[in-house]
Amino acid sequence: MSKQVFIPRDSLNQALERLSSKMNVWVPAASGSNKCGSEFVPYRPDLIPLLNRQTTTPPKAVVFPQVETLLSYEYTKDPDNPSRVKIQLDDTSAGSPTLIFGARPCDARGFLLFDQVFTRGPFTDKYYRDRRENSYFATLVCLEWDSACFCSSVGSGPTDMEGSDLRVTPLKDGYLVEALNERAEPILSLMEGDVPTDAQQQDARKLQEEASRQRVGNVDLTRSATDFKGRFEDKAYWRAMVSQCLSCGVCTFVCPTCYCFSITDEMQGLKGERLRSWDSCMFFQYTLEASGHNPRPTRFERYRNRVGHKFSFIPEKYNGMIGCCGCGRCIRSCPVSIDIRRVVENLKENACVCA
Amino acid sequence: MFAHNPYRPELATVKEVIQETQNIRTLRVVLDDEERMRQFTFRPGQVGQLSVFGVGESTFVINSPPSCREYLQFSVMRTGEVTQRIHQLSPGDQIGVRAPLGNGFSFEDLKGKDVLFVGGGIGMAPLRTLLLHMIDHRSDYGDIMIIYGARSPQDLCYRYEFDMWKGGNVNLVLTVDSEFPGWNGRVGFVPTVLTEEAPAAHNRVAIVCGPPIMIKFVLFNLKELGFQDDQILTTLEKRMKCGIGICGRCNIGTSYVCLDGPVFSVEQLKGMVPEL
Amino acid sequence: MEASATTRLHQEVEASIGRLSTVLGWGAGYDPLHMTPLFVRSPEDIARLVWNPLCVQNLTGYLVKSPGVQPPEEGKKIGICVRGCDSRSLVALIQEKLISRENLYIIGIPCRGTVDIRRLMNESGLSNIRSVRIEKDLLIVDDANGAHNLPLERFLARRCLRCRHPNPVIHDVLLDEPVTPRTTAEDAYRDVESLEAQSLDQRRAFWSVELDRCLRCYACRNACPLCICQNRCIAETRDPRWLTQRVNLPEKFLYHFIHALHLAGRCTECGECERVCPMEIPVTLIKEKLNQITRDLLHYEAGLDPEAVPPLLTFNPAEAGI
Repeated sequence: MSKQVFIPRDSLNQALERLSSKMNVWVPAASGSNKCGSEFVPYRPDLIPLLNRQTTTPPKAVVFPQVETLLSYEYTKDPDNPSRVKIQLDDTSAGSPTLIFGARPCDARGFLLFDQVFTRGPFTDKYYRDRRENSYFATLVCLEWDSACFCSSVGSGPTDMEGSDLRVTPLKDGYLVEALNERAEPILSLMEGDVPTDAQQQDARKLQEEASRQRVGNVDLTRSATDFKGRFEDKAYWRAMVSQCLSCGVCTFVCPTCYCFSITDEMQGLKGERLRSWDSCMFFQYTLEASGHNPRPTRFERYRNRVGHKFSFIPEKYNGMIGCCGCGRCIRSCPVSIDIRRVVENLKENACVCA
Repeated sequence: MFAHNPYRPELATVKEVIQETQNIRTLRVVLDDEERMRQFTFRPGQVGQLSVFGVGESTFVINSPPSCREYLQFSVMRTGEVTQRIHQLSPGDQIGVRAPLGNGFSFEDLKGKDVLFVGGGIGMAPLRTLLLHMIDHRSDYGDIMIIYGARSPQDLCYRYEFDMWKGGNVNLVLTVDSEFPGWNGRVGFVPTVLTEEAPAAHNRVAIVCGPPIMIKFVLFNLKELGFQDDQILTTLEKRMKCGIGICGRCNIGTSYVCLDGPVFSVEQLKGMVPEL
Repeated sequence: MEASATTRLHQEVEASIGRLSTVLGWGAGYDPLHMTPLFVRSPEDIARLVWNPLCVQNLTGYLVKSPGVQPPEEGKKIGICVRGCDSRSLVALIQEKLISRENLYIIGIPCRGTVDIRRLMNESGLSNIRSVRIEKDLLIVDDANGAHNLPLERFLARRCLRCRHPNPVIHDVLLDEPVTPRTTAEDAYRDVESLEAQSLDQRRAFWSVELDRCLRCYACRNACPLCICQNRCIAETRDPRWLTQRVNLPEKFLYHFIHALHLAGRCTECGECERVCPMEIPVTLIKEKLNQITRDLLHYEAGLDPEAVPPLLTFNPAEAGI
């Protein structure tokens, strides 16, 4: 069986159509008329996949929805003693096969950190695990990057296929799709593409090689853990770096590796749900204690924690893994254009720190 | 309990409620699954998440002694949304429990040592479980001193069992912040009383829990008394959600208070980023 | 021309920095198209100040949002660069006694409009930008494909296209000659009017599609200089609990309409909420509608007169219509 197919540009939708009859398929598409950005949306027949630019939000929500139910509960009156209520709990969860088509290496890579946190710790998060095990990534060889991208700075790159199941190489008149592992092979057959010609294979190889030689991002941010600790108490440093921060949650919500969440209960009548929802370490309430004490009361401590989490705590905890995939979304979407690369790069003791 | 789903609480029923102070209540709860209740074990200092379904979860130390198999005890100060509702519970009400969580005290390392407990207000709760464990195994430990303070005599928890503690050959020093009619214990802040009592630091471990400001000055005074950083243990509080080291918020640098704590030695804390 | 505006800004700040503890302005950001707020705290920082149509942020919020700019030292003031729209935010903040005029040294900048950078990037086909120059009404961009002359007018932000007050309404010094407003008061609400020309169903569909994209990241709220509840915003508190963490449409609607209603009669239409939205939701439109009502019903325009009392911050039993 061939482990690669060629999908002509004008039959991409048919291939996605066939896939979507067997599984959930998410593809990048425009966010709406008059919008500059794009998002991952469930495939539908009239949709035009937008594969030539990074989406505004990563496909994080496909595997880790912004809100999900951890538990449902219901109070029922005890027939033997009507003044008493009994509680019933339901914690069922399930994943169904899902393909994320047209992710970029940075998008797929984000989940490598999620895997560590949600499935390799002392406790396993079954809600995440169930969806993750059912998720497949068909990832583009990335040919489009801009001044905010820096995947090579965090040990990745435009052809990095770690965490991906299929490689999609965009050619002039279509896409060469290759299965990178066994679980991806049934997906490849479902696409019913053409057998790639030698020329197509050569073109794809050439493109991949060219892209793999590109360095996206001109700094090395992979060894910042110690520098971070050295700067931890340097108030002037954080003031110089992030005085502009508005303490909004954009950077965390558009981040493929930001996973921190909140848990809240919601009731209606005698029924209710325990919800898990994306939270943001940029928010004051995130660490606010009932006593009123807050260990991270201002944007300076909060931003510092975000940098520390990604570039110091995670590497220390997970064997050098960087908690950042270099997608640049936090830079691009930041209302005040804070550049996390600069903040991390300047952690070095002798860096010139101008306001 | 966590093999399947660590977010799923076990159902439990409130057996007894004790009004400790004006804003602190102690709950004794029993897991509904009798088999689970029988098998339930924990280390002193470990915590549990109590759920009032529809309101939320909150973290409390299990302050019953590990030897007690009849119930799990939690002392709850009314401060926020969940604790407000916990205070409205009465015997027979059902709640959710996720426990045990966190590291607890490594009491094996304390054997053969003199012990100093320093507690303030609700901070006595995590100390109580270890104290009762030590009283249960009294011969394993040397001298035991407790310095426990609160704002007023009415703000001291567990008053009804002070005599029992003393009966366990424990030197209990009680103090309140200012003079009160009928009070014949000490008057003064905990750190000051600590300095006055001046327990010998040699071969002693100090276990400190209370409001942050108390901890700060107690640590300072312990140092003056000659206590080394590895001789001082404290239990920390942070806002928590998941309780299992995933949701992110209770970190101090790399450590999660819910998973790696809540018990830390001052030596450990010094190796962490200063962000309490 | 723009280079000289920056030069004049440098000269102005150099002359006044002795009397100022901090100066809020803009400086170069992560690429030639992006500027970032700059906090000038010493004379060495002055050279990094920039003024051009890419300086998009309203800086006035930094004066009031905790931890705000450090209070001025004895005998000194805080300097702040404001465009017309920003100056109106200052007026509103002064009216509400959140800042005091005496503490400020206001460097007014008559503004011909700022660029919608997202639209510029999307429509111009630029990539790997090397440099950007502004000459008269042209944006001259040098990118991987060579030099491009882009007419500024084509890429102005929506807020700038409907601007009635391009000249700072309060200032201690004006950096340039006043410019002619782009829009009359009559035309200012044409975007709202064209939306309102649609049927109820169409409008509901419009807002449903737009607001459904909301991430509840609260950038709109945090960038708003007049959203001052900050850490006590009902969007996040559990007590009172008006909103849940769910991300369904009713929650998002409620959040945005609470946000807008809290700004009724206060919003100066600086457009920051819309500019900062990562999902490009035209949220200022909601506030524009409220302002249109305020204008028609209460004959009031926010952020023009520091002495005036905003109509919803006062109560007059004799008021017509009550």
